Formats: sequence, C-alpha cells, structure tokens
Amino acid sequence: MFFHIVLERNMQLHPRHFGPHLRDKLVAKLMKDVEGTCSGRHGFVVAITGVDNIGKGLIRDGTGFVTFPVKYQCVVFRPFKGEILEAVVTMVNKMGFFAEAGPVQIFVSNHLIPDDMEFQAGDVPNYTTSDGSVKIQKESEVRLKIIGTRVDATEIFCIGTIKDDFLGVINDPGASS
Amino acid sequence: MSSTTDSVHSVSSDEFATLIEKELEWNSSEDEDDIESDRIKRRKVEELDNAEESQEATSIAMVPQTSDGAVNLETCLHQAPIFGGMCSLCGQFVKDHPAVSLGYIHKHLKVGTEEMNRIRGSDLKSLLRGRKLILVLDLDHTLLNSTRIDDVSAEEEYLIKQADSLQDIPNGSLFKVDMIRMLTKLRPFVRTFLKEASSLFELFIYTMGERFYATWMAKLLDPEETYFNEKVISKDDCTQEHRKSLDVVLGADNAVLILDDTEAVWSRHRENLILMDRYHFFASSGRPFGHSGKSLSELKRDENEKDGALATVLEVLKRIHEMFFTQEYASNPTNADVRKVLKKIRAEVLKDCRLVFSRVWKLGERPHNQRLWEMAQQLGATCDTELDESVTHVVSTDTGTDKARWAVQHKNFLVHPRWIEAANYLWRRQPEEQFSVNQIKK
Repeated sequence: MFFHIVLERNMQLHPRHFGPHLRDKLVAKLMKDVEGTCSGRHGFVVAITGVDNIGKGLIRDGTGFVTFPVKYQCVVFRPFKGEILEAVVTMVNKMGFFAEAGPVQIFVSNHLIPDDMEFQAGDVPNYTTSDGSVKIQKESEVRLKIIGTRVDATEIFCIGTIKDDFLGVINDPGASS
Repeated sequence: MSSTTDSVHSVSSDEFATLIEKELEWNSSEDEDDIESDRIKRRKVEELDNAEESQEATSIAMVPQTSDGAVNLETCLHQAPIFGGMCSLCGQFVKDHPAVSLGYIHKHLKVGTEEMNRIRGSDLKSLLRGRKLILVLDLDHTLLNSTRIDDVSAEEEYLIKQADSLQDIPNGSLFKVDMIRMLTKLRPFVRTFLKEASSLFELFIYTMGERFYATWMAKLLDPEETYFNEKVISKDDCTQEHRKSLDVVLGADNAVLILDDTEAVWSRHRENLILMDRYHFFASSGRPFGHSGKSLSELKRDENEKDGALATVLEVLKRIHEMFFTQEYASNPTNADVRKVLKKIRAEVLKDCRLVFSRVWKLGERPHNQRLWEMAQQLGATCDTELDESVTHVVSTDTGTDKARWAVQHKNFLVHPRWIEAANYLWRRQPEEQFSVNQIKK
C-alpha cells in the first residue's frame, strides 16, 4: 500500500555547497540519498513530494560539515499481509514463480497456485491450465494476495498466493502476441 | 477488500508509525509458534481495528482471515520452499528448519529435504513423460577452457587479437571477457552438442568457479538463454567445500547424468558420472595437470570437431537416452534408473577382454583397489592376477616382465595402461597397435 507521510532526516552537507544554492543542493542530496531506499519501518521510499522545513544548520567540529534537520513529505510503499497486489512475473520454475511489484519481490509457491495449473518446462517455463486457456510465464501480470512480508534494510520480500477467488493472471503477453 | 487496493492514503507520520509498530510487533511475536500468543495477537488486532477505525487497520485485521482459507497457520509444517526466511505456504517466519539454499535460483530461496523430494518426484514424472533426462555439465575442461589474461604466454598473444566479438556470441568460440579478465575458448563442437543434448536432456551447469564467472560462461555458451535458464550452479551454491553434489539439483538422482572431467568431486555420485577427457587449450591450463609439451594454442591447433570428446560423448548420451526409454523405462516405469543403463553401456566397451596387469602398480598393493583395475572392470573386462590360456591382453608399462614376454610369445595383446583410459574416454575398444608398450614412452 502507498502512504504519503512526513519524515525527518539529518543531512550532512559539505561546506563547498554553501552559497546561494544551498537549499537546492540540500534537496538534491536528499532525493539522491532517500529515494529508492527501504526502511523496515516505513517501507520503500518511492518519491519525495516536498520539503516542509529545513532547520538550523549545525557546524560539526573538526570537519566543517553542517548538519541540517530536514522535514520532508514522501510517498512510501509497504506491503501488508492480506493485501492484494498486482505484480509482474520475473521467473517461473518447478517450485513456483517469482514476481515483482516495484521494489517488492514476491514468491508464489506451486502449493499456492491453483491445482489445475501445471508446470511446463521448456524454453519458456510456465504454469498452464489443462485446457491451455490460462498461462503464467515470465512477463505475465498477476493479481496476488500477500500472506507474508519481510522488510529488510534494502529489500522487501513477500510470500504470495493466487489460490483464491479473483486472483491470477490479469494480462498474458503470450496470449496477446 | 477494496480498501486495500486504494493507492495513496494521506496519513500523518505519527499515526503511521504507531500502526507500523503494531504490525511489526505482530510479526516478531509470531515467531513463537504458540496458540496463546496468537490469540492475544488477534485481540490486539481487533482492538486496533476498533480504536482507529482507519482503513489501514482493516488490512491488518484481515490477516487472521487468511488462516480460514486453505492454509492453517497453526498447523503448517512448512513443507514448502522458504523465501526470505518465510514459509511459502503460510507466510510465517521459520527458524531452524533444515533446508538447502538454492542461491542459483534466488539469493533468498531455501528448500527443505521433504519438499525437495516432493518436487523431484513430481518433476521426474513430467520429465519422463516428455522423454527427457537431466544432464549436469561441468564448465572448465569439459565445455570450455579459460585462462586469466595475465597468464597468457608469449606464444599465445596472437589469440587476444583474434578474440571474437562479444556482440556476436553465437558465432564465436574465443572470447576475451574483460570484466573478469579472462580469455575463454569454447570446446569445438560445443554448440552442436548443446543443441542436440537439449532435445534429450534438461541441462544444468555445475561448476566450481565463482558465480560471476559461471554466469558469464553461461552467457557465452547460451546467449539466448534457452538451455540454462536459472540452472547455473556455482561454487557459492555447493553444500560442501570442494565437493559437487546433486542435493542442490532439482532432479531425481536416478534420472541424472553428469559430465565432468574431475572424478573426485563427485564422490557420492560416481554412478551418474561420465568422465570427460580434459580439454586444455591454453598453456596455463595444462601445467597444473603436468602437461609439459606445447599447448594447443601454442601449436595453433585445436581438438577435432567431428570426433572430438564432445562428439563422442554425445553419441554415448544418445545411446543411453535411447536405451533408457526403449528398454529400462518401457519395462519398469516406476523404478527406471539411468545409472543402470550407463553401467550396462559402459560394460560393453571391453566385453570379452580378459586382462592381466604387469608392473602397472607397485608390488604388494591390492590390485582390486587400483583405479585401472576398477575402470577395466566397469568397462566390462575381466581382470585377473595370474596368466592362463583365456587371457587376451597383458597391460604393462614394460616389455621386460615375465607376463609381457608371455604375451609376446603367445601372440596376445601387450598394451599400455593408457589403452584402458582411452577406451574409457572414447567409449570404444581402441586398436591395440596404437597402444603397444614400446611406442609409448613417457
């Protein structure tokens, strides 16, 4: 799920940046440092949408670096158990398939793939129903339900299932081409 | 349900933090797998739900509902792959569950023994239905030969200029991979070999090299990713140091054949192994194995494409595949074992040969333990310690021994031990004249 929240961070800035563009430098550095990272607490920082407040800088002894407390708004993404997500399949094998939703890596075991879908090895490994009408392969888009999450410092892992009503393939590149 | 798919919610960070904290607490206490704590958790979740009545809380409250579905959280035995420390069946964190890491598929994927066996079993059925077996391939000295660019000798310098472009991998055979500072020569015939073998076997790479090296080599061998898709096993995946084992291969042992030039690493799976004659193209490659002469690269020559080691072994593989599906699998589909077929085919090579060894190993050593003795027997020859009328070959390194003289007198074959090794690599009884004891002086 996405959240729009306010976070705070102490930014260290090199003295060479002091000048009329100090604020711009600070914001640019903030974006570089924060966007695309994960925190176990808030999830994945997708984008910074605004800077609310930059506090008074504090000069560090010895180095001359200045620490600014910065309050900023950002959009974060964090998956929850029970959440329904749409994801792109990245890898299919005997054990199930891996999918990605942005920074989140999801594994769906073949136990949690409907029983009528069977694994087919070959150049493009896939799970297919016996009548061939539904196929999950690399690049397929699936709707799945999260049943377990783990948010590490830099990565987010999820366990998913498609063995439930209204879950499964929502777009199949193999069928359309 | 609809609440969860809404995209952006604006919440203040404080509210969010408390929410997250509760959720995290929920996760961590879940590790203790007991019902009591679970009950408390549910109560907590319900309280949260009532107190906040926010949309986010409903998504958490949904969690216990998942246990009403197919998977029961409390009784899950975690017999499913483990991803990122979570059971892929119930989503709970699992600790201390014995499992083999399958880093070559995904860095964070592990599979327990029972689940591994289950996957192998179900995979075997579909594999055999498709008339395929599994072939595990070694890289160095089997499919290709690599040398570090720093180790290239003066006489080989010309190769660096001749290296094929990495833009056109399918048509090249000599590559300079700057990223890993390696010069790699693919063994002649390897492309045809992979193409034909892939129609009969599911292919794996299993190398003692680093993962980075292994993926590069896989890219050179299989630029289109049709053969080895996520089936490249490297040193990082080995469960034991300096040993290769099929325990990380997703395939039942009785359907696996292994192609490797080193027997020692496969100590537990000798029966699956087809030993390959080593491919030494570069000078630096042969040296550790005691080759003192000029290397193929220095002589500007290469292994023969048509009857080189890979072409020979491909014929053998085809025969094994054929025999497996026409005889072994047809007569006994449930217990079909490719190892038996391999053994049978191997035992035909020196059938009807009766060997006596002379001065091949030291006096007083037990002949039955000798590698050559064992090899000859696997090839179907009968080995003996004493001479009699039925002996057909005397294997010796010296013409001066009593047994060697006996062979000459009785017009029997007197061959060098290399005759047996050659037969082992080439899967055919070799013409004895080429291995007479005088000619081969080493």
